[in-house]
Amino acid sequence: MSLSRRNFIKSTALLGGGLAIGFNLSGCSKAPPYPNMNATALQPNAYLQVTASGEVILQLHKVEMGQGVFTGLTTLAAEELKMDPALITVQHAEFHPDFRDPEFYVMITGGSSSLRLSYQTLREAAATVAAMLIAAAAQQLNVAESSLNLHDGKIIHAQGELGFADVIVRARGMSAPSVVTLTSPQDFQYIGKYDQRLDARAKVTGSSQFGLDVQYPNALSAVLLRSPDFGGKAKSFDAIAALAKSGVRSVINVDGAIAVIADTYWQARQAASAVKVEWEKGPLAGVNSDALRAERHSLLATESGKNVEEIGDPSAASGVLFDALYDVPYLAHATMEPMNALAVVKSDSIEVWTGNQAPDIALSAIADATGFSREQIRIHNQMLGGGFGRRILPDYLVEAARVAQLSGYPIKLVWSREDDMRGDFYRPNSSVKMSATVEANVVTSLQAKVAAPSIMGQFVGEVSNTLLPQWIPDGLHGKLAGLAASSDPAATEGLIETDYQFPYMRTDYIMQETSIPIGYWRSVGHSQNAFFMESFIDELAVKTGQDALQFRLNHLPVDSRRRKVLKEVADKAGWGSPAAGQFQGLAVHESFHTMVAQIVSVSIEDKKIKVHKVVCVVDCGVAVNPDIVRGQMEGGIVFALTAALKGNISVVDGAVQQSNFHNYELLRMNETPEIEVHILESAEAPTGVGEPGVPPLAPALANAVYAASGQRLRQLPLKLV
Amino acid sequence: MAELSFTLNGQTQALTIDSGTPLLWVLREQLAMTGTKFGCGMGLCGACTVHLDGQPIRSCSYPAEFVNGKNITTIEGLAPTEDTLHPVQQAWLEMSVPQCGYCQSGQIMSAVALLKANSSPSDDDIDKAMSGNICRCGTYPRIRKAIHRAAELSVQYYQPATTEVGAES
Repeated sequence: MSLSRRNFIKSTALLGGGLAIGFNLSGCSKAPPYPNMNATALQPNAYLQVTASGEVILQLHKVEMGQGVFTGLTTLAAEELKMDPALITVQHAEFHPDFRDPEFYVMITGGSSSLRLSYQTLREAAATVAAMLIAAAAQQLNVAESSLNLHDGKIIHAQGELGFADVIVRARGMSAPSVVTLTSPQDFQYIGKYDQRLDARAKVTGSSQFGLDVQYPNALSAVLLRSPDFGGKAKSFDAIAALAKSGVRSVINVDGAIAVIADTYWQARQAASAVKVEWEKGPLAGVNSDALRAERHSLLATESGKNVEEIGDPSAASGVLFDALYDVPYLAHATMEPMNALAVVKSDSIEVWTGNQAPDIALSAIADATGFSREQIRIHNQMLGGGFGRRILPDYLVEAARVAQLSGYPIKLVWSREDDMRGDFYRPNSSVKMSATVEANVVTSLQAKVAAPSIMGQFVGEVSNTLLPQWIPDGLHGKLAGLAASSDPAATEGLIETDYQFPYMRTDYIMQETSIPIGYWRSVGHSQNAFFMESFIDELAVKTGQDALQFRLNHLPVDSRRRKVLKEVADKAGWGSPAAGQFQGLAVHESFHTMVAQIVSVSIEDKKIKVHKVVCVVDCGVAVNPDIVRGQMEGGIVFALTAALKGNISVVDGAVQQSNFHNYELLRMNETPEIEVHILESAEAPTGVGEPGVPPLAPALANAVYAASGQRLRQLPLKLV
Repeated sequence: MAELSFTLNGQTQALTIDSGTPLLWVLREQLAMTGTKFGCGMGLCGACTVHLDGQPIRSCSYPAEFVNGKNITTIEGLAPTEDTLHPVQQAWLEMSVPQCGYCQSGQIMSAVALLKANSSPSDDDIDKAMSGNICRCGTYPRIRKAIHRAAELSVQYYQPATTEVGAES
């Protein structure tokens, strides 16, 4: 197309297109324009646009961090547009209020909620675009809408076909239908059938762009020297030697940390080792993780805590009391891509290129730290080299923006692995007293008392000052108030609202006040609470002399979703008939509305646990992309094996002791068992799969280790004595 | 300062670097070849794996001066042309290996080196060759399958009738 024709279409659209004018007006009021808005494109909602040349662009309002939304969400749109998902252009979306999550009230990727919460919205958004294209074509051809069909980016009619570009001007002039009809499940072409990953090709050729890969003209590299203990600040520093080094531009104090700025990362890193800093200890100086655990044990012995759930009458808890103390440590996320962000600060704008799970939160955090308004700040999300909850936090974006603001340079801030390991927001350490009463070989009560720090307490505490007045809608105010007054759901999730049935059930929570920074770690509270619950259930089966599968089935209602995955996993793994020399362990857990059961087979040699095989059954409703579901279960199992066999972040004098992969080891190829995943057939709407593969693994493994060794290991990581 | 001259994916590169700069940062920052990743800086995770005269090295801890006059191949130089893939990349696609994808350049470079040395590796061989590469997403089971698949695809690739096809020749 010639330039003049392109301009002609553009000006025609600008003059005649009600949509564009509408957008421009709305841009001045509360709702900002849609991301990537283009005056010549059909763009009836924030999610989708069809450009003047007929290209379909999806604004990906959830970030791709490995979990598959890049493909899964595109597949939902493709289904209604009746086009191969590979034909849709996908862009990581900038912030827009329409992308705010209906449950979290912010634009965020987390809680294994992307597909579940987008299943209806995104198909409706695409069906709206499809209806407008069909209506425009019908008008243009003067035929009935029912005589037209969409296929792979074309409008098919009796005499031939039209491209989307051919009807775009007309479509832009139409109003969006108020009601759309979605494709019936029996007619799905892509949902449940598509088996590719749209991001895979770029990821095998090295061309996929992560935050760390972003290039910006004349950007300088910065590294930060932070206090060894959390919350400590630089009192003074001597940078004379550092400033004399090659490529070094500046060394400055940025909010208590020392930024070393140079032409390249390596120069900045080399110079940083030559800076002498005097640190002022922070509020966590003197804090040790061993002492924190002892304190939790003491809290469990002396405090009653806050009751979170109680079912049945305490008088039903008859018989002999049996209890057991369980422990888990802090864990790091250890994403393969260390934290990084590129920030460009101008007099009236800030732009940040990075990978982040919660741009809504980051916008406010940057605004608060820099004095700019949210509207002046843009965050350009890239592929995330792992998230697992770490990249919900905006700390590294704020750092980059502040270094850029104070230095006056465009800044690419890169954390070292050591920075990343020691500057994380860790999975909380937690201790739980599980107890039960048993009378005449019948379990009459099941109780859990949790002592743990509160993620929500820290998170809300950190963000509420700055964020609450600016953007949090009314709905969340109430929720936050409730949280502040109540217990942290993350501390007890997975222990409560289970469908196990015992005559009396109770869960209490004691909040531990002192902690290093903690955050959301793949499957959050479920990551430890499934270990507590499903290990103790196994203990009760042993105590009452029952088979672990049968014991569970005996205590589940007939309509429990757990029964289906349990029976299926027992069947697939040959429960009760392990391979020669191997021992099996079983666990089942619901998290994020998804039910997963796993059977782990182990053997033990020289007190070393060898994991041979994991069989996994998942019930996640409709599997939009079954191969990605399998991949998420496999990955969740490997992630959980690292935690069960190796993971431990220890703290001495307020500082994390681990620094890199030699002392915070991750599971490797030679330690990875055979993994078999089965997806239950389902007609229900999809639920998440990013996190739910993690929780059942540790207890299934611990239960297998008990079967093999007779040792009941109640502490992670599992170590035989 | 040091003068550096080497062949990168078949093209000669000449540039000035700070002495001691690891090859990784020369590739990523000075040559804007960002397919090779930074993961740990200590040779522990394999994300930075490239080939030096066909052998895998950890570029994050390999001084760039040491590659003077040598051949370096990175993930960008693996495929014979822009529209085709190396058999290992092809197998990675067929098995839908990548999740976040950050470690996969390094995984693929290690796998290519393995298959060059051993055209039909056993599971044990794969364990030995690949255990230096960490994947936090846990794609190991698929990497294993993809290497077996690449071995099938590679027969033609590495033993062509007459001429060598690979970019590293």
